[in-house]
Amino acid sequence: MANFLVWVVWFGAAFGCLVSALAVVSFSNPFYSALALIGNLASLAVLYLLLGGEFVAAGQVLVYGGAVMVMFLFVIAYLGDRTDESPWSGGPTWQVLGAVLAGGAILAEVIVVVGLKAGNLLEQPKHISRSFGTPEALGRLFLTDHLLAFEITSIVLLVAAVGGVVLGAHARASLESDARA
Amino acid sequence: MHGPDIQWYVILSAILFTTGALGVMLRRNPLIILLSVEIMLNAANLLLIAFSRLHGREDGQIFAISVMAVAASEVVVGLGLIVAMGRRNVELDVDKLRTLRG
Amino acid sequence: MSTAAWICLLLPLASAVVLTVGGTAVPRRIAGYVSTLTTMGAFAAAVVAFFDMWSKAPVERVATTTSWTWLAAGQYHFGLTLLADQVSIVMMLIVSGVGSLIVAYSVGYMDGEDEERRFFAYMSLFVFSMLLLVEGGNLLLLLAGWGMVGLSSYLLIGYYQDRPSAIAAAKKAFVMNAFGDATMALALFLLIQHTGALDYVTVFRNAPHHGAIANLIALGLLGGALAKSAQIPLHTWLPDAMEGPTPVSALIHAATMVTAGVYLIVRCHPLFENAWAVQDLAAGLGAATLLMAGLIALVQTDIKRVIAYSTMSQIGYMFVGAGIGAYPNALFHLMTHAFFKALLFLAAGILIHALTGEQDIRKLAGVGKLMPFTKWVFLIGSLALVGIFPFAGFFSKDSIIAACLAHGTYGAIIWVACVIGAFLTGVYAFRLYFIVFTGEPTAWAREHFHKHHGKEGPISMLWTVGTLAVLAVIGGWLQFAPIWHPLTTWLDPIAAPITEPSNFQEWLSSAFAIVLGLAGIGVAYVLYVARSVPVPQAVTLFEKKFYWDELYDVVWYRSSDALSRGLGTIIELPLIGGAITAVSGLTGASSRELSMAQNGLVRTYALALAGGVAVLALIFLAAR
Repeated sequence: MANFLVWVVWFGAAFGCLVSALAVVSFSNPFYSALALIGNLASLAVLYLLLGGEFVAAGQVLVYGGAVMVMFLFVIAYLGDRTDESPWSGGPTWQVLGAVLAGGAILAEVIVVVGLKAGNLLEQPKHISRSFGTPEALGRLFLTDHLLAFEITSIVLLVAAVGGVVLGAHARASLESDARA
Repeated sequence: MHGPDIQWYVILSAILFTTGALGVMLRRNPLIILLSVEIMLNAANLLLIAFSRLHGREDGQIFAISVMAVAASEVVVGLGLIVAMGRRNVELDVDKLRTLRG
Repeated sequence: MSTAAWICLLLPLASAVVLTVGGTAVPRRIAGYVSTLTTMGAFAAAVVAFFDMWSKAPVERVATTTSWTWLAAGQYHFGLTLLADQVSIVMMLIVSGVGSLIVAYSVGYMDGEDEERRFFAYMSLFVFSMLLLVEGGNLLLLLAGWGMVGLSSYLLIGYYQDRPSAIAAAKKAFVMNAFGDATMALALFLLIQHTGALDYVTVFRNAPHHGAIANLIALGLLGGALAKSAQIPLHTWLPDAMEGPTPVSALIHAATMVTAGVYLIVRCHPLFENAWAVQDLAAGLGAATLLMAGLIALVQTDIKRVIAYSTMSQIGYMFVGAGIGAYPNALFHLMTHAFFKALLFLAAGILIHALTGEQDIRKLAGVGKLMPFTKWVFLIGSLALVGIFPFAGFFSKDSIIAACLAHGTYGAIIWVACVIGAFLTGVYAFRLYFIVFTGEPTAWAREHFHKHHGKEGPISMLWTVGTLAVLAVIGGWLQFAPIWHPLTTWLDPIAAPITEPSNFQEWLSSAFAIVLGLAGIGVAYVLYVARSVPVPQAVTLFEKKFYWDELYDVVWYRSSDALSRGLGTIIELPLIGGAITAVSGLTGASSRELSMAQNGLVRTYALALAGGVAVLALIFLAAR
């Protein structure tokens, strides 16, 4: 019975995330696209929970779906309504054909790989302890095995913050100089 | 609990990734492109976490968190650029930015 | 003795370094004095070394000092070795003695030139190089000195660097000497290969005693000697080298450097004696050169060129002497020639200095009345050159001519050439003397002659010329073969002659040489003073200097020019040029096509990425 429930939840989440992804790509108004992406992130968080990633799921919802997407919406609202008249590609005609072909090829190749089972690497999942994916376990790993990655990540964030400030200041300065001229 | 096998996750992730990639390649609005990139990143995250579960090790989750941080950084810079475009009243269309044309 | 030899070598180097480093910090006058004093110091050191050597027994007179290993390559070690022996001490005395006189003379001659310091730095460098050449204790140092005198000669010929002709002459001299250097270097390679060393003792002991290798070694050395001493066929640079200042002509192109070839043959005589054919060739080329140069000198109108051809001719005598194995006689003539030829050049220099640099004897005609001192010293030099008793040339030249008679049939042929050369010497030397110094001065000469403080030239020029005049008179009495021969005795342990004429041969040769020399003077008198016989029209062959320059032009320049032109049209234009055009066209076309991909659309670049991923994944799949 529990098994069945897992499947139901999984299919629900997978369906939600596929539909919301398609919606993100196809809405002509970026505001709706952003809202759809929140749905996508939430569905993925469900899948993470199913995979034992409790802390990642929480982070996904709080940081990603919360903070980042709020910033997105804020920017979209700031820029105002700029609904695209023709949302789909102009550009060279072969662009569309090429994009569909390349995307299809990647998808097909992944399916083929899965079909080949990649040399029996995709065996049954291992048994895991109760502490798998808890903040404690992750924090321990972060501060021992992956300390360098942790620090580098923090520096990347710092650089990005500085970059955001610079971009904003630069835009304002050039705007003012334009106004003077 | 016996949920779906890893193959299901891989296929799902591939579809998500392709969807995001098509969005990047076909849409002209930089905001949508940025959102599509988020989808691609999340597809990758899904795979990382699925394989983390498969191997019973949390390193994949660590990686996923790092990817999230990178994605946040990327959003900051991308949005900064878009705001700069918007302030200068540049039309929000990546096809208009063709200075690099050979 | 070794210390003195070192001082002798290093003083001129010190002067060159000081003058170069000091630059404009050294006052112009001082530059000349520094150069003069150091060269005189070198001479003093050479004198000290000479007396030190004299005081020892003949077997102990050779001294070598090695300061350090200068060059080591594998098992070969070449030390910075100085060799002081009977031959090198004579050369040291000549080089530093005549050199110091000429450098002192230059103080007056170069006064007021723009770049006196450069001149004196070059002069000191030359004296150092020449001393290195004669003092070097192995063939490698000799080659180093050999190259460096070539360099100094190049620098000094091209001293007047704003004259294109001087630059061309300098290049010509350098290239021809480089040819000689190359053949000499090849000979040294052979010596290293066959003896494993380059110091004289080992080389002379271990060198192959006969056969092709011995001949090749001697031939290579002879090539170097011919180029440096301006002998046929590498002689064409010397007349052009007269573009340099006159003291340079006197020092380098008369007294010292050009005689280095003779020194080389005397120094390496064991190697030449291993290859008698090459040694005979040296004598034959010397004889040919002395005749040809004598004939060309008959028609030259440039005072310095006449003396230059005379130099070639006299070195021809020395080559004859060295070639037939009369080494002391060759060195003896080298010494007296240094005296009287430097005298002639420097006297001509006084003339040129006093007459606004003019060198054409038709314009200089008759200046003897204006410049009596110069006239007399020039007469002394000319008499010494022709070999009239009791002037220096008589003793030295006649002993070489006599030695020819003691060398068999081949020697007899050369003897004939030598006495004809003596006649020619009389004609051209006194043609020059009579035209320039006798008769009434030309209007041009009167107009342009200017006295220097009431004298014919600066005092530094006069006393040096006077000293050389005295040497040209008495220098020959050092050795009078039939009666006393201290030089031959002195040189005997190092360069024992293999040809020694009998007293009868000496008397016979002297008689012929003097009579023919006097006859030459008589002919010159009849043609240019008495003018009772019209001067024959100058033969074009002589005027064109036997067409050597034209021959080299055809053989080397025109042929290679035609060859390169031919290759240019046949190969370069269609093949190489076509290939380059094709490559550039292909690159242009392909880049035009490829630039379509650089359309500036971010989305296209993303597509390229995705396509790349797809293809890569396909490759991984296929390769799995």
